[in-house]
Amino acid sequence: MEMVSALAQGFAVAITPTNLILALFGCFAGTLIGALPGLGPVNGVAILIPLAFSLGLEPTSALIMLSCIYYGCMYGGRISSIMLNIPGDEPAIMTTLDGYPMAKAGRASEALAISAVASFVGATFGTIGLTLFAPLLAKAAIYFGPADYFALYVMAFATIGGVTSVNPFKTLLAAFLGLMIATVGLDPATGTARYTLGSFHLYDGFDPIVAIVGLFAISEVLVYLERVHEGGARMVPLGRAMPRLKDMMAGGWANLRGSVVGFICGILPGAGASLGAFMSYIFEKRWSARDGRFGSGDPRGIAAPEAGNNAASGGALIPMLTLGIPGSGTTAVMLALLISLNVQPGPLLFARQPDMVWGLIAALYLANIALLFMNIPMIGLFTRMLSLPQWILMPFVVMVSFLGVYSISHSSFDLFVMVGFGVMGYVLRMLGIALVPVVLGLLLGADMENNLRRALSISTGDFQILVSSPIALTLYAVTAAMLALAFVLSLRPPKNDAAVTD
Amino acid sequence: MTDRIVGLFLLAISIWYGVTAGDYEASFGDPLGPAAFPIMLSVPAAMLSLAVFARPDANPAWVTGTPMLRQFAAIALLLSYAGFLEVLGFPLATFIAVALLGRLLGSTWFKSTISAAVTSTFLFVTFDKLLGLPLPPFPNFMS
Repeated sequence: MEMVSALAQGFAVAITPTNLILALFGCFAGTLIGALPGLGPVNGVAILIPLAFSLGLEPTSALIMLSCIYYGCMYGGRISSIMLNIPGDEPAIMTTLDGYPMAKAGRASEALAISAVASFVGATFGTIGLTLFAPLLAKAAIYFGPADYFALYVMAFATIGGVTSVNPFKTLLAAFLGLMIATVGLDPATGTARYTLGSFHLYDGFDPIVAIVGLFAISEVLVYLERVHEGGARMVPLGRAMPRLKDMMAGGWANLRGSVVGFICGILPGAGASLGAFMSYIFEKRWSARDGRFGSGDPRGIAAPEAGNNAASGGALIPMLTLGIPGSGTTAVMLALLISLNVQPGPLLFARQPDMVWGLIAALYLANIALLFMNIPMIGLFTRMLSLPQWILMPFVVMVSFLGVYSISHSSFDLFVMVGFGVMGYVLRMLGIALVPVVLGLLLGADMENNLRRALSISTGDFQILVSSPIALTLYAVTAAMLALAFVLSLRPPKNDAAVTD
Repeated sequence: MTDRIVGLFLLAISIWYGVTAGDYEASFGDPLGPAAFPIMLSVPAAMLSLAVFARPDANPAWVTGTPMLRQFAAIALLLSYAGFLEVLGFPLATFIAVALLGRLLGSTWFKSTISAAVTSTFLFVTFDKLLGLPLPPFPNFMS
């Protein structure tokens, strides 16, 4: 009952005019960002963060807008997967496998409708999961001491990308790079200047938002410049404007199976929606593909990964809100925003700012309904946007990134830092080093160090405190098991799969 | 080969990072001090760099020729934009940057000029006038 009244309170927050408008704007912008190839949820959310600042939004409203963008991206990513055979963002890669063949067979609007329904089922499942599990986890997390938090951070870094990453050495190295970058600046406890190379500009360290915008948005331009003259992709015709109800439901139970698998993947730290879509597709293929129709336009092959990535995005919000540890790249960006608005996510968020948490959850239920409408009757609008040429889109995105960073600090120095991170992001991507662990390291480094120091001041310097609580010991055991699994898998002959990131 | 160079480079960074940390003085009252955490990071980072050196992946397909030149041009362009934004003012700097970037992305001069005019005006009006984010409007020498 407690939960029902909290949720009712949340709806009261969500249906204030400002929040409702922001939620609708977020849904629309998110679908568009997801649909446009080259603009994924991470950089989409990152470049819109400055908008939240310049509008002077309350933390609750800003969080609602960004979460709706996140959900919208998950819906939108499939549009270009199906119409162009180019995933609009990374989680939508799996949707190209069955979505595009179905569209090529003249059933594009059916494929879009099946995936819209799947997105709705997945996202609703994820949001219900968020409603049920987040308060439980928040209650449990209140008992976490500094040493337990330190163990939790260790676990988050060790399991980033999980067992799926191509080269676990590189993934771990990426996390360490992020942590090392996070130590630049004045040490908060003692005021010692660390790694500032004598430059006053670096006393505040690197702003995670500046780094994220550079790493994702700027590096995307450099990636795109590799293949400018390959010619545009051809879009398949949409077909009938409004698909029949029977066709929409063709995904059947695959919708639910995908949701369950995706949601579990979403909760895991650092795994996120791409892993959710990937695992859902693989699972569905094992479960139901006896007749070998997968890969040639099977409706279940469209429904499962779409339900999976949408459910995962709900799941990824759980560790971000309750523990302050993001479950995906996009939630990492949202964490950066909350921190700069002076909101520290964690178990106390539920106790101290219930309006924010429950307002967000209620807004997500409403956003889902809005997104279903935007993605079935209004789908033609978004498919038309796909023909927007890159030479208009890319410079626009770059300029919004510059504006956003400039709006934070009004300093040219940060703009140079952003470009620097952009070049670094491009090089890391080329080397097969995932960017999400770098971002997590950068974001969580300061907290990780603080908790370590806090734990050791409690024990007056005795390192045994780190392994003396049962919670910490359990977390280390899980970490060790997952690491062992990752390395065993990596020592098998290497495959040239793309790294699964979000 | 690329991974071996990267591994050595990151190894050097990790060692430098760890050694530099040793200079940070510990103050009393804080048992750990500012040096301990960086040193704790530098050791595994160095080991992981060695692992990347020892077990390199296949070389990434670096671009060469014209696309590479385009990338360098884009980086130079973005850096100049960062440097000249406050000097030239937002509308002019953005106009030039979008026009050149559009050209790099394969449009014609004519089209990218139009897109630049529209983009810079739209962004200036939206952010400076509507959202109230103050942007430098004119070149330095004019104001």
